[in-house]
Amino acid sequence: MNAFKLLFIALFFLILTSCSKESDEKVDETGSIILKVVHTIDSQILKKDSLIYKNKAGNEYLISNIQWFISDIELVKPDGTTIKPTIDDGVFYVDTDLISTCSIQLPGLPSGEYIAFKFTFGLNELANTNYRFVNPPESFMFWPEYLGGGYHYMKLNGKWMNQDGQLAPFNFHLGIGQNYYEKSNGLTDYFDFGQSSSYTHCEGFNPPYSLPEVSSFVQNYFEVSQNIDFSVFQESDCIIKLEMQIEKWFDGEQSYNHNDWGGSIMQQQNAQEVARKNGLSVFHLSVDNF
Amino acid sequence: MFRFERHLLTIIFASLFIFGCSDKDNNTESFKAAPYLIDIPFPFPTNLNIPSDNPMTVEGVNLGRFLFYDGRLSGRTHPDSLMSCGTCHIQSNNFEAGINHPLFQGGYVHGISGEKTTHVMLPLLNLVWNFSGYGWNGFLYADNPDPYFTSIEDFVRIAVTAENELMGDTIQVKNLFQHIDGYPVLFEKAFGSDIVTFDRIEKAIAQFVRSLISTNSRFDKYIRGELQLSQSELNGYVLFTTEEGADCFHCHGGSANPLFTTHLFYNNGKDTLFGDQSDRFSVTGVEIDRGKYKAPTLRNIAFSAPYMHDGRYKTLDEVIDFYSSGVQLSPYIDPLMHHAVRGGVHLTIQEKADLKSFILSLQDDNFLVNPEFSVPAKFPDDK
Repeated sequence: MNAFKLLFIALFFLILTSCSKESDEKVDETGSIILKVVHTIDSQILKKDSLIYKNKAGNEYLISNIQWFISDIELVKPDGTTIKPTIDDGVFYVDTDLISTCSIQLPGLPSGEYIAFKFTFGLNELANTNYRFVNPPESFMFWPEYLGGGYHYMKLNGKWMNQDGQLAPFNFHLGIGQNYYEKSNGLTDYFDFGQSSSYTHCEGFNPPYSLPEVSSFVQNYFEVSQNIDFSVFQESDCIIKLEMQIEKWFDGEQSYNHNDWGGSIMQQQNAQEVARKNGLSVFHLSVDNF
Repeated sequence: MFRFERHLLTIIFASLFIFGCSDKDNNTESFKAAPYLIDIPFPFPTNLNIPSDNPMTVEGVNLGRFLFYDGRLSGRTHPDSLMSCGTCHIQSNNFEAGINHPLFQGGYVHGISGEKTTHVMLPLLNLVWNFSGYGWNGFLYADNPDPYFTSIEDFVRIAVTAENELMGDTIQVKNLFQHIDGYPVLFEKAFGSDIVTFDRIEKAIAQFVRSLISTNSRFDKYIRGELQLSQSELNGYVLFTTEEGADCFHCHGGSANPLFTTHLFYNNGKDTLFGDQSDRFSVTGVEIDRGKYKAPTLRNIAFSAPYMHDGRYKTLDEVIDFYSSGVQLSPYIDPLMHHAVRGGVHLTIQEKADLKSFILSLQDDNFLVNPEFSVPAKFPDDK
């Protein structure tokens, strides 16, 4: 009987100690970041479909909606090492019409201090492959094969008061650009992508017979990097605000005049280039205290 | 005491066994509907809009097909009063009435009462991939605060009861089908009970409608590498998918959006004044939504005349002409219609022909004659 009791007690302690050991091993040293994406103009939250904005070129304009991709997020630690969140294959879709897409959860990040935040605006050439997304809304972002394929980096849709006083639609759509041969199929190439406007750049355009042939494609994605001190704790989410300062697409390094570029720029690499340069100053990251 | 405990245990186990058996019998023991498997070819979406309370089954789809085509869905049996979904939704016309419909001149449909529907029809195909509301204005949508206006199931009820459609009575309809030979057995197979309810009628028809899938057009085969398109079709595809061409793709898709619609709502510049009380604005109350309507799929579009929500265009050529030179600028026009400042995309005669060639390559002949979607040769009570 005593032996049975002893055996029982021994077993009981064995179980207790094994439990305790297990919980020691389960110490979780990871935390989460919530990336809150906000879209602003002149430091104010975007008021959609309101003709209340004006760029430095003098264009009065409104914004209706924005859809874009953020990818390749990297967090930099003080020792220079980087952490890459791997959730959702590293590509995130943001849509001003789908509020849930404006809050990106990045779980499983090592706790500790960080000094910088990096990401790619759009998708790089390795990630930007045809049919990567088969489900909407991401699949609706496809960039036609003829123009380079893959996906729009961004669709920014709005209207501006053009030189004729018309509220004219514009699609500020960024993605893979094209270089074109000057001549196509022996026909005169009347199509000057560099100086096109809403009134001239479609005139006489006669694809596919006189469509200038694409000589090469141009990757227009770019990396955004900002020094920012933040900490990831396992107890609570770190909230980082990612602000797209929309006006800077038009008022950055080079002034963007809608009257010059017209309503569509998917086939205007020169406009894509302006957007790419201006885009480097569009984004701002800050730690959100809320 | 020990003996009492043993008896008690026996009673408990016996009770559990009995209730367990009884519970199974009442629910699903004898109900073994087979899951209806949807073949999703690449690159079609893998996310399907199938409500959790109405999973698709072989038996449910089969029952739904009978109900879809049975003229007694109006709740009446007199030959002059028969009307079903299939009265207007003709398979060979892309499940629309079609411009050649013997009853509905020009494809403008009306109900048993003679009253015309608010808008012309939309095709019933690939709705299992639609997450953006049903109808030209999307008045049925998943998160609608009104729980009776959310789904295809609700559309069935609305169609059966509307004065400008079947003008039926749900109680009368379910009572009628309860007493038609053969139907109770089909309900038993589909839902595990031979009791006909209107809820089950809705669910069965909705299952059938979700089974109406088109993925086998010439263009689909081209994308899968099974055939080559003609030069004209390929030229048309370039036009379709370039901003400086016809610029159709933002709303109507392409190879990477093979639905050939976004299922979203746009003001495409048909008008400058908007008096329709059933546009998108009527659903959202958002001012900029005036004159907006769903972009319909372009699959089998040749059979979907008349075109636009009000059926103002009778031919595809008229539609292409509209987008080429008839677009009207207004404060409500969608930003994607950036060509509106010039009145349209300005296509040449050859370009129009090429564009049309490509659009016709989206025709899925198999879908239009698929016997699984056709009028049943016999209804359940036919001898």
